[in-house]
Amino acid sequence: MAEQVRAEMVANVFEVSVQSGDSVHPGQTLLVLESMKMEIPVLAESAGVVREVTVKPGEVVQEGDLLVVLD
Amino acid sequence: MTVTENPADTATAANTAAKPAKPPREQDPRYPRNRLAALLDQGSLSLLTPEDNSGMLAVTGTIAGRPVVAFCSDPTIQGGAMGHEGCDVVVQAYDRALADGVPIIGLWHNGGARLAEGVLSLHAVGLIFHAMTRASGRIPQISVVLGPAAGGAAYGPALTDVVILGPEGRIFVTGPDVVRSVTGEDVDMLRLGGPEPHGRRSGVVHVITDSEQGALDEARRLATLLGFQSQGTIDVSSVEDLDLADLLPDSPRRAYDVHPLIDHLLDEGTTIELHPRWAPNIVTSLGRLGGRTVGVIANNPLRLGGCLDSTSAEKASRFVRMCDAFGVPLVVLVDVPGYLPGVGQEWDGVVRRGAKLLHAFAEAVVPRVTLVTRKAYGGAYIAMNSRSLGATKVFAWPTAEIAVMGSIAAIRILHRRKLAEVEPDIRPKVEAELAAEHEKIVGGLDKAISIGVIDEVVTPKQTRSQLAAALAEATDARGRHGNIPL
Repeated sequence: MAEQVRAEMVANVFEVSVQSGDSVHPGQTLLVLESMKMEIPVLAESAGVVREVTVKPGEVVQEGDLLVVLD
Repeated sequence: MTVTENPADTATAANTAAKPAKPPREQDPRYPRNRLAALLDQGSLSLLTPEDNSGMLAVTGTIAGRPVVAFCSDPTIQGGAMGHEGCDVVVQAYDRALADGVPIIGLWHNGGARLAEGVLSLHAVGLIFHAMTRASGRIPQISVVLGPAAGGAAYGPALTDVVILGPEGRIFVTGPDVVRSVTGEDVDMLRLGGPEPHGRRSGVVHVITDSEQGALDEARRLATLLGFQSQGTIDVSSVEDLDLADLLPDSPRRAYDVHPLIDHLLDEGTTIELHPRWAPNIVTSLGRLGGRTVGVIANNPLRLGGCLDSTSAEKASRFVRMCDAFGVPLVVLVDVPGYLPGVGQEWDGVVRRGAKLLHAFAEAVVPRVTLVTRKAYGGAYIAMNSRSLGATKVFAWPTAEIAVMGSIAAIRILHRRKLAEVEPDIRPKVEAELAAEHEKIVGGLDKAISIGVIDEVVTPKQTRSQLAAALAEATDARGRHGNIPL
C-alpha cells in the first residue's frame, strides 16, 4: 500500500536524503525541511521503498503538499 | 437526539446468527466477568453487583495489589445496550470508588441506550454522566473501549481522564447507518470512530493498543501511575545522572525527536505517552522519577518545529489540569520557537485555546519544574510554565536561549533599513555582528538569571538529579478542581 508523506507546515525544502528505489526503515530521514528557522527532518513512519520524491531542494512547500510516496 | 442509535446491536446479531451453536454466555471472552478478570490481579475480583441481564457488571479488585473499582458492559445481552438497571450498576460503582477514594476503570463495549426503555434509559445514561462529573478530579477514571461505544456509551469514556482504545474499539455518536441516511456519506465504523480518526484527528483517545490484553495492561499501568504515586518519596539518591546532551543534535538549528530525552529523564521503562499521534508537536507523558509519578510536557521540535499551536495548547492544558487534580508534579521541557503563525491558526482559535494553557499552568498548585534545553521564544516562552506563571523552579542548560525572538530575526527587524543598504555578499557577516551585539544588550542567560526568570543553570549531566531534588524539596499539593475534557 502506498503511503503519502506530506508537509506538516509551510517550509523550504532544505535537503532531499533519499531517491526513488531506496529502501527505508522506520525513523529514517527522507528529507529535511526548513521552517521557523530550523532544519526539520521528515522521517519515515514505516519501512518501505521510495516510489517517488516530488520535491527538490530550494522549493517551497505548503501545508499538506506531497513530498514522498512510499510503497 | 441521536443517543438512542444502536448500531452494535445489529452487528452482534449478524455475527451470532452465522454461528451454528451458541456457547453459554459465561464462556464468551466478552462476558464482563472474563474481561474484568483479565484486568484485575488474579483471584482479586469480588462482585459489587450481581451477574444478571442488566448489561453491566461492577466489581472490586486489586491492580498491583492496590484496590480499584471496575465495571464492564455486557455485549452478550442486547449488544451491551444500556438500560436503567445497567446504568445504575455504573452509578453504584462510582459511589463505591468515591467512598473508597480509589481509581475506577470502565470497560466499554456497547451500542448506546436500550431503545425499548425510551426516555427512561436516556435519563439513566445521564445519571452516569453526572456520577462521572462528580468524581472528576477526585479519583482517577480510566476508560477502555474494547468494542463499539456509540451514543451515550461514547460520551461515558469521553468524560473520563484517560481513554484507551483496543483494536476493535469504535467510538462515535451516530453510527454508519444514520450517517448514511442523513448525510449520504458512506463510511464504516473503522473510519468513523476507529484508532486512526481518534488517535490522530479527534483527540478523543489517549492510548491505542493493538490487542485487547494490551489495552487492559495499559489501564493497569495508568491506574498504578495515577492512583498509587508514592507521594513524598522521591529518592534523589537513586536518581542516576546521565549525559542528556547526547540526545540532542550538535547544531542548534537542527530539529530532533524529544522522546528519547523524556525516556532517559524518567525512570527506565516507566513512560507512558498520552495522545502520541494527536498534536505531536507537544508530548504529554506520565512516568516516574525517583520512583514518584510525574507528568512530563515537552515541545517536540521534530513536529512543526516544536511550535505551539491551537491543538497542542489544548492537549497540554488538559494534561496539566489532570495532573494538578491528582497531585502529579510536572516536569516541563522547553524548546519552543514560538506559536505557529498562519491564518489557519488564528481562525482555529489559537488565542482561545492558547489561553487555556496559560490558565492551566497559572492555576496549578502541584510542584512544577521547568527546564529550558535550547530555546524559549516570545509568547510561547511564557506559556511553557515560565516563572511568571508560577513555576516552582526554572532551570536552563548552559546553551539555552530565552528571548522575545531569535537574535537574527530581532536584528532583521531592528536594523531593516541598515541591512537593506548592505551588499548581499557581506550581509550574513553584518547580521552576525549585529546579532552578537544585540545579544550583549538584551543579555542571554545571565540577564535571565539576574531578573529571576531562570533560577539555575544546570548541565545536562546533572539534570536528572537536580530535577528530582527540586521536586523532592517542593511540598506535595493537589488542585481542587475537576478535569473537564478540554
